[in-house]
Amino acid sequence: MQRVAIAGAGATGLAHAELLASIDAAELVAICDIGVVAAEECANRYGARAFSRAKEMIEEAEFDVLDICTPTSTHIELIKAAAAARKNVIVEAPMARTSVEAQEAIRLCSEAKITLFPVQSRRWSPEYKKLHDLVASGAVGEPVIARLSHETTHPSGWDDWYADYRRSGGVVLGQLIHDFDWLRWCFGKARKVNARGLYDRGIHFVDHALVTLRFDNGVIAHVEGSWAKPCNSECSVEVAGNSGLLSFDSSSSAPLRFELRTVENSGCSEIVSESLLATSPLSGALEHIIGCLEEGRVPDVRPEDGYEAVRIGEAALRSITTGQPVVLT
Amino acid sequence: MDIQMPVKIGIMSFAHMHAYSYARCLKELPEVEFVGVADEDATRAEMVASDYGVKAFANYEDMLASDVQAVIVCSENANHRRHAVMAAQNEKHVLCEKPLSVTKHDAEAMIEVCKRSNVKLQTAFPCRFHSAFRRLRERVASGNIGRILGISATNQGVCPWGWFVDKKLAGGGAVLDHTVHVADLMRVLLGSEPLRIYAEIGNRMFGQDFDDTGLICIEFANGTYATIDCSWSRPKSSPFWGNVGLKVTGASGTAKMDMFAQKIEVISDTSERLTHEYWGDDADLMMIRSFVKCIANDVRPEVTGEDGAKALEVAIAAYESARLGKPVELPIPSHL
Repeated sequence: MQRVAIAGAGATGLAHAELLASIDAAELVAICDIGVVAAEECANRYGARAFSRAKEMIEEAEFDVLDICTPTSTHIELIKAAAAARKNVIVEAPMARTSVEAQEAIRLCSEAKITLFPVQSRRWSPEYKKLHDLVASGAVGEPVIARLSHETTHPSGWDDWYADYRRSGGVVLGQLIHDFDWLRWCFGKARKVNARGLYDRGIHFVDHALVTLRFDNGVIAHVEGSWAKPCNSECSVEVAGNSGLLSFDSSSSAPLRFELRTVENSGCSEIVSESLLATSPLSGALEHIIGCLEEGRVPDVRPEDGYEAVRIGEAALRSITTGQPVVLT
Repeated sequence: MDIQMPVKIGIMSFAHMHAYSYARCLKELPEVEFVGVADEDATRAEMVASDYGVKAFANYEDMLASDVQAVIVCSENANHRRHAVMAAQNEKHVLCEKPLSVTKHDAEAMIEVCKRSNVKLQTAFPCRFHSAFRRLRERVASGNIGRILGISATNQGVCPWGWFVDKKLAGGGAVLDHTVHVADLMRVLLGSEPLRIYAEIGNRMFGQDFDDTGLICIEFANGTYATIDCSWSRPKSSPFWGNVGLKVTGASGTAKMDMFAQKIEVISDTSERLTHEYWGDDADLMMIRSFVKCIANDVRPEVTGEDGAKALEVAIAAYESARLGKPVELPIPSHL
């Protein structure tokens, strides 16, 4: 049985708590949040202990795994604390705000001989896994050029931390980190990154970026990330190779749609579309890591994967800031 | 200028396949008299002339000595300058297939000669006339989505092969062929000029000596950034030739244009293929109508030679950027 303590009772932490509760080999024993009410509510629901400070929780609670669901910029301190206490770590993506922090996290966890698992949940998204497997099986021949996009409304979180782009890394780190991870998974090492975006433009609650990557194997990739949509969330992937083309678009993949007549405004109707899956990518990721910890297996996603994704994101942010392409050495 | 309707038009060369569509448009438009065709390939000229019931001139000189008032130049890119200049010197208005030419210097020369000869020079950018783009432009202008922050665009297609992959005749590959349409749309939509270009260009789709893949990043003077995927990345068994798409992110909304979305899906057991049949607006027809109108009313073309040159400059700067591995500032030197 893996006893889990969650840091952060925001939307992400609560989602983790709910999924962990459904995993037999996991037990939620503690949750902390500086908004202690949210932590208490969650703790009561799952029979866990609530804390207002992570430090206290790590010192006082009896647990095996620290599951970090706090704002990105706080990840490194929590990983340090977990390493000092010799607790295994699950950390939401991006695993750290900077590549230096990510590197330090890896070093500390390795020295403490604990597992560090970055939640790169795309690997458990069935559409992205299928796309990856198709590419790997040669469905398009040699892959040549890929296009990914992930566009959503602006995320909201405690203290509006997402909107503080210095802290969150904006859409590039907060969202495209998953696309970078998927691209690495498919095409290997990225060599050069060129990006333009709104990261340093001081626009409130709107972020958007266009990132071009060149991989060592010659593949060119274009990634669009948006936190500028007024409504709906959409993602798409296209991979063109020398003998075929794969394309996926979430907006044309919804197996269920509703049109609802609103009572207040009978002339108007609202369309709700859903992408349905029995299990979420996040639950796949959590089940995987809990299973690995239980059985002493090496997880499919290594800390280095989390680090490399952060490094690409950081290069994209630097390119946005300087207007120059960044070579990854 | 004394212009009588219908305006008499001829086509110079059918090297570019768009010529066939333009020929069909010329037959269709009542304000046009499709006089004839001339082509270095005499067999092709004869065939086309008989197909459309028009005269096949023995050579360009004969056609330009006739009473045609305007020509559409559809030769290989590298021949545009020579043919456009010939036409202008014979006082014929010119609608020139895109890209306007293969070098900035050639484009400037074409513009200069047409100006001096007092003839219209229009670049064939039909996308400008498509209803989807017109509506997008109106809505953006009315402030519907706020200030435009970023645009990601695609003009991906099936590789056209033939002379299109012969650098001597085409002047370049996918980047030259497919960058100019969307670069032009972006300039018009933003009312701003490109400042800086960065490009990743490749040839791994076919592994030959022409570029088949490209991602162009453009920074505009007004601060908007944009990308264009200009790759010949649609497989030859694709149901449709390709696409022209713009995804526009504004400060208060977003817009997505898929210019050729109006298609019918056809699945056939006979051909064992899926194909898409387009049923939307005929932008070529609207473009030629506009060309005729600018001649008849003696006004500036809706899409000028300068527009063609500006779009061309983006593509040429993209090649330069890929060669240098860093962003290139506009304007680029004329010799490129």
